Amino acid sequence: MRIFNVLGILFYAGILILIGIGMIVFAFNLLHPQDIFSFLEYLQSTMSTRAILGLSGLLLILISYSFAQLILGRMEREKTIAFKNPSGVVTISLSAIEGLIQQFVNFMPELKELRPDVIASKKGIIVNVKVSLRMEANLPELTARLQELIKTKVQEVLGTEEQIIIRIHISKIISQEERDRRKKESIKEEHTIPYGGFGRV
Amino acid sequence: MTRDESRTELGAVKIYKSAIASVVDIAANEIAGVKGVGTTFFSRLMLFFGKEHTEIKVTIDPRFEISIDVPLVIKYGYNVPEVCIRVQENIRVALEKTTNLSVKTIDVHVQGIAKEADK
Repeated sequence: MRIFNVLGILFYAGILILIGIGMIVFAFNLLHPQDIFSFLEYLQSTMSTRAILGLSGLLLILISYSFAQLILGRMEREKTIAFKNPSGVVTISLSAIEGLIQQFVNFMPELKELRPDVIASKKGIIVNVKVSLRMEANLPELTARLQELIKTKVQEVLGTEEQIIIRIHISKIISQEERDRRKKESIKEEHTIPYGGFGRV
Repeated sequence: MTRDESRTELGAVKIYKSAIASVVDIAANEIAGVKGVGTTFFSRLMLFFGKEHTEIKVTIDPRFEISIDVPLVIKYGYNVPEVCIRVQENIRVALEKTTNLSVKTIDVHVQGIAKEADK
């Protein structure tokens, strides 16, 4: 896997260097637009060059995709809670816990949107939650209830006595008027018939 | 594809890693609270083309000891560590019963928590 990483880095470095050289050459007027145009024309002239070009493009997409997957996969792997037992290691992806917390929107009607971010640190499990609320909610009561719910559920699911710190950040409060307006708009949009008024006098 | 091989009087018996992975898959899914074995984009792509590809990783060391890596999706409402321990135990029993090979480690990776109705 390390070889693959090195190859990937070299590949991207090579491409960036080539682009850089191309730009410098172009800036010094050593390369004319006609040269590029004639090269592109040559590439499109025969079936074989077109096939090579297409396949190279496909290969580039595949390389980029696998490299991105590798990096993202590693990032995901790093975000885990792990514990050992006699049979082996159990790792729980923090995104799994985030997914679990996200489902709380369904339990509390006052919540419009909930975006959790879970961090495992030495202090314990830190849960940062960004929420959008409806206007009629009592904020201290609601946030306390939400904190309690998240804490209980996370402890229940993980079966851990580890400290869970829950930080709630209210990012948006949607008023009743705004909600009504949005509702009306969506109803209006639903009933609009395309070209409904077309041809009418 | 490497495989575990043992010789009898009549000939060689080869157990492919994919067969071991299938045993692991079945044993894991037997436990209440397991939604299924985790998938990746690649395995879904392979399935789309009609070829099954499991994300269960099987490693056999020179002493014929097996190490397993299982990505899992757990059902919402279950205690994750408890389910994982039961999965590990069930996999160990199933592998020892079906292949007679000794299991070194069974590493479980919980990829997600899904509702009953989620696909």
